[in-house]
Amino acid sequence: MTKGVLLFANNNRSINYVKQAIFLAKRIRKYMDLPTSIVTSIKLTDEECSHFDKVFSHTLDEKKTTDKRHHDGDLYNKITRFYNYNRADAYDLTPYDQTIVMDTDFIISNDILNNCFVQQKDFLLYKDATHVGIHNGTSEFLRVSDTSVDFYWATVFFFRKTNETKIFFDLIKHISKNYMHYRSMYQFRTTVFRNDFAFSIAIHIMNGYQQGDFAGKLPGTKFYSIDKDVLFDIVDDEIKILVQKTNRLGEYTAVKLKGSNCHVMNKFSLERIIDNQ
Amino acid sequence: MTTNNFTMLAQNSDFDYIRQAYLAAMSIKATNQNSSTCLVTNDPVPTKYKQVFDHIVEIPWGDHAEKEDWKVSNRWKIYHAVPYTETAVIDTDMLVLDDLSLWFDFLKTYDLFYTTNVITYRGETVPNDSYYRKNFYKNKLPNIYNGFHYFKKCESTHEFNDWLEIITNNWQQFYKQIDNQLKHLPHPSMDITAAIASIIMDNTHLITNEKTKYPSFIHMKPRCQNWQDRFSYRWQDRLGVYVDDDLNLKIGNYKQSGVFHYTEKDFVTGKIIKKYEKYLGI
Repeated sequence: MTKGVLLFANNNRSINYVKQAIFLAKRIRKYMDLPTSIVTSIKLTDEECSHFDKVFSHTLDEKKTTDKRHHDGDLYNKITRFYNYNRADAYDLTPYDQTIVMDTDFIISNDILNNCFVQQKDFLLYKDATHVGIHNGTSEFLRVSDTSVDFYWATVFFFRKTNETKIFFDLIKHISKNYMHYRSMYQFRTTVFRNDFAFSIAIHIMNGYQQGDFAGKLPGTKFYSIDKDVLFDIVDDEIKILVQKTNRLGEYTAVKLKGSNCHVMNKFSLERIIDNQ
Repeated sequence: MTTNNFTMLAQNSDFDYIRQAYLAAMSIKATNQNSSTCLVTNDPVPTKYKQVFDHIVEIPWGDHAEKEDWKVSNRWKIYHAVPYTETAVIDTDMLVLDDLSLWFDFLKTYDLFYTTNVITYRGETVPNDSYYRKNFYKNKLPNIYNGFHYFKKCESTHEFNDWLEIITNNWQQFYKQIDNQLKHLPHPSMDITAAIASIIMDNTHLITNEKTKYPSFIHMKPRCQNWQDRFSYRWQDRLGVYVDDDLNLKIGNYKQSGVFHYTEKDFVTGKIIKKYEKYLGI
């Protein structure tokens, strides 16, 4: 069975997701020895294409773009337009029998996710994640809403192409098309489409509206830093992050991760690091 | 094939607990084909309700709870009243949503069994130190729930029940030996009473099993639900209730299974009763 990683990258005026994808593809090759394909609405240069196994061109539906406020540390933020509705197309687009899909702001520093390919479950993702600093137990990431279903991270997921996973991805498409209905059904406030929420709801439905085992747990720990934290440096498998201090505007604590994968939500600081590599 | 026997005790006060028991019995009949139901009561039972009770028996030795709003003083009499040699005893404000034959297979290995792990509507175990169990946690009482328990008539259960009688009739004296503040409770708790009886008989390990997830029930008291917002007074203010024609029950986003302890009296509506009556052809 073929295996590889699939990334989605749609640039906007402020954030170059293709640049992040190239950076990530290099690390995937280095640490996981896997090919990476990309789905993008951007016309890539030959040099950019050379980093990828396959490049899929995707036309953006402008009606489905969403405005979202991105922070760059405590003191700066900017509203940017982003497009994240096509994640469920992974099933149809992937050139691999076994695929890991990653956000482009996920930093790979080890090969632990290769264990996905030697286990039996056809769909894996993270339910729990650990903040690199002091934000452990943030209730925002426990449930979709206080009275509703468990929260799952769509940042990284693994799937094999099976009838069951096809149903799952079709279900996500259905949820994304009827997002306002599911927003009221699952009692969350934000009107911004979130893949995390769509995945969480779809997993709950696949489990028959009960606790269940449709989704397995990805190997390893998912570390993350929020966009109010600042990525400071990446040298090989060592990631340095300034973690925002709670209730102390503009003050940070330095944290070092070594040999661990990390989801860096501050995309501005990630781009600065990539530019300086 | 063996029969799953269920018993309830109901006494009307300013609320119609017989109607609650009727709904509970209908839920048993709808899901447990080989079941027998027994209602222990001194109140009149409407003819329609009698269709779902195989036995209706009087509370023996008069009404010890006549002057009580919270009528727990007769509960120890269930053991003596039931026509069964073994039975599960459930609260009237419960719905049985599944065939519990496997539970009964497990329960038959015990003479007496109390549920200890109860769950939320999302299927999470309610922690031992939850809001409603502070007295248990503080005083290291066995965390047992009277809401769903099982007994076999035998010598050891008889002795246990004798202790329930003695403690119920002298609850303040017994409670204050555990914690002086407990004697100030507005009324005795059968959970605390059973916990004290198990301490006296030193048989906690024989009457419950904290390692097993079932038998259990879904406990809908709002502060059990692991909600961040702890100010909600009624769970029905935060969650929708959905019952379809096949009697599948959804609470909020979750399908319920097993035994559902709804706790709030206004959960019982004419609509839900009609659903069950239609299903059973009553």
